[in-house]
Amino acid sequence: MNKMRKWVTKRAAVYGAGAVLAILPVLGGCAGGNAGDNAASGSNSNDGGEPVTITYYTIDSPDRTFVEQLIPDFEKKHPNIKVKVATAPYEQFDSKLQTMIAGGSAPDVTSHFGYGGFAEYYNKDMLLDLTDMLSEDGFKASDYNIPDSVMDIYKVNGRTYGVPVNSYVTLMLYNKDLFDKANVPYPPSDYNDKSWTFDKMVEYAKKLTILSDDPSKQQYGVDFTWAERDNKPLYFGAKTYSDDTWTNGGVPSETYFDSPETIAAYHKFYDLIFKDNVSPTAEWSKSVAGQGGDPFVTGKVAMSVGGSWILAGSNDFGFNVGVAAVPAGGNDKVRSILYVDPLFVLKDSKHPKEALQWIKYLIDTDVQKKSIELSGGNPPVNQVAAEDYYGHFNGVDAQDVKNVYQGAFAYGYESFNHLITNYSQINDLFINEMQPIENGTKSIEEVMPGIQSKMNELLQRSKK
Amino acid sequence: MITASRVQGTDMNVNARRKRKADPVRIISFLTLVIITALMLLPLLFMVATSFKTKQEMLQYPPSLLPETLQFSNYKAIFSALNFGTLYQNSLMIGIVTVIGTLLSSSLAAYGFARFRGKGRDFWFMLLLSTMMLPYPAIMIPQFVLFSKLGWVDTFLPLIVPAFFGSAYNIFLLRQFFATLPEELFDAGRIDGCSEIGMYWKIALPLSGAALATVAIFAFIYSWNDLLTPVLYLNSSDKFTLPVGMASLTSSKFRIPPWQLLMVASVLAVLPIVALFVVAQRRFVEGIVLTGIK
Repeated sequence: MNKMRKWVTKRAAVYGAGAVLAILPVLGGCAGGNAGDNAASGSNSNDGGEPVTITYYTIDSPDRTFVEQLIPDFEKKHPNIKVKVATAPYEQFDSKLQTMIAGGSAPDVTSHFGYGGFAEYYNKDMLLDLTDMLSEDGFKASDYNIPDSVMDIYKVNGRTYGVPVNSYVTLMLYNKDLFDKANVPYPPSDYNDKSWTFDKMVEYAKKLTILSDDPSKQQYGVDFTWAERDNKPLYFGAKTYSDDTWTNGGVPSETYFDSPETIAAYHKFYDLIFKDNVSPTAEWSKSVAGQGGDPFVTGKVAMSVGGSWILAGSNDFGFNVGVAAVPAGGNDKVRSILYVDPLFVLKDSKHPKEALQWIKYLIDTDVQKKSIELSGGNPPVNQVAAEDYYGHFNGVDAQDVKNVYQGAFAYGYESFNHLITNYSQINDLFINEMQPIENGTKSIEEVMPGIQSKMNELLQRSKK
Repeated sequence: MITASRVQGTDMNVNARRKRKADPVRIISFLTLVIITALMLLPLLFMVATSFKTKQEMLQYPPSLLPETLQFSNYKAIFSALNFGTLYQNSLMIGIVTVIGTLLSSSLAAYGFARFRGKGRDFWFMLLLSTMMLPYPAIMIPQFVLFSKLGWVDTFLPLIVPAFFGSAYNIFLLRQFFATLPEELFDAGRIDGCSEIGMYWKIALPLSGAALATVAIFAFIYSWNDLLTPVLYLNSSDKFTLPVGMASLTSSKFRIPPWQLLMVASVLAVLPIVALFVVAQRRFVEGIVLTGIK
């Protein structure tokens, strides 16, 4: 947020085109031919004043498909535009999108709801440059109460490729019941409270941890496993990707995963598990919460750092929950990772103008307010609607939610998975390579050089 | 005790003799079977038990095996959480039509391969078998392009029509079975003036109950479990199949998945497979009996 990320487009475009050619040789041809056919028929129907149908592609889950309930209202306001919603489960989101594009029936509006991030879409040349359309339309971010800094995240070299719609932040959730029982004061939600540091958190966590052979008594002070593994060192001020990553289309020229600073940062996290014993091991988390589950919801973890979407489930928890600031790790600027979801118009869209109307509708103040309820707690990007969001969670203090959101915007950094290209491969690499550390079979010093050299290989490949 | 044993003396002797004969190998193997069966049934039991739990119980650690109280309301909740009735109907419809299509097309092709000798027959058969080597992702996109040009996207046709064009594995299976039928049966048919189609319909098919039942089960289970094809071709939620709906229950990154509802859906999803197996098993046995008579 606090950093403007400019991208030098030319180089990225060359790589992007290269990537497309390498990955989708046959598909490009098919898509081109079919898109032409459809465009012709599309414009015919347009001449007759017939309504235009646009497709919105999203995840098949209630917090995403709620938009279907907004369509009747939208169609009433825009009688010439019909909206169809296409969906896929999370795991199949990317493959269905690729197939639809290749098959010449690309959706008009979507977002990086699957594994791939903005940079990947951008470098595969899937996104339409919205800049001219937006200025023709007289679009102003301020009309939708979107801060300029948020609007800038999905600009490349001054050109806009996405319009933000939801903004998730990283925050700390804590179990009030466990704090009360251990007589530990609640952590603060104010990011300017400088006493709230990582070391203080460890101190609290020690008081809140109960180590026992009886699994029903076992309890842990803190779970800080959240966030993409390569994001984490940033929190302690260690640099992992070279600065040019943010200026050349998400392609880092260098990485520093074996630097002493990075290794020291990882130590801080893994010491919580293996030295201080205040955090659950990976096996424990998996066994209590299942694959991909969050152990915090079982009530056996006192503090948990995670994405703000876990708030949406807070009404189901069997205990009282509060939100707090992520403690200061040592990086004065970055304490919270942001996940801002933008809406894109795909390049193959046959009706980009109508698609923009739909996007504008979704970020409208009233619609964003309505969406909080309909979605069950998606954080709006519209700052006026956000006021409603802060008070949406039963038993959670609205002022605390507001504090952690505003602190996150002040001390936030957009998640690497949106900004670095080929991120699904990078993510897989980290998950696989760091497994031995998480299982306690290898030390951080043993593993990091291997990751560094594999990252170099991966980057070399993506540069070709 | 004494009178009882005297009265049942002969019975007891028989039992004792049988027992002495049985042990110890049979007892051990029987116990092993019991243990393995119990282990196999455990996940199934856990699935059924979880389907009756409350949301809070489901998140409990350590987890309990059996629910405190039975939440029958979960079985009602699945209908509001998912468009369950419609999904079920769609899946059943697609499954049944797929089975019919597969049985008709594959058995006809298999009959041809088994009973006719012609130039290049083995070559075509090899070519057919080699299509089994192609993984689905390799044909996914060309097939999508084909079906979308036919305007079949968001209809059931891409899920149903391919079944009417046979599948290599099923053709292979049935061909092997048809090849074992004695030539004399067909000679007799020919003498009685039966046409080739008539022999396929009146001799080959009725004698192949076991093989056809196997193919039917395979085809149904495949269609019933298939996730990727419906995900690719179906867009409107009222056309979704059961696996798509179930995947969407856990597909939010933002929520705790309602596992208890997913288990309800799984319990209900297992039922047609069990029913089919019970029905097909009878055909299975019948088939063996019939071919035994020959």
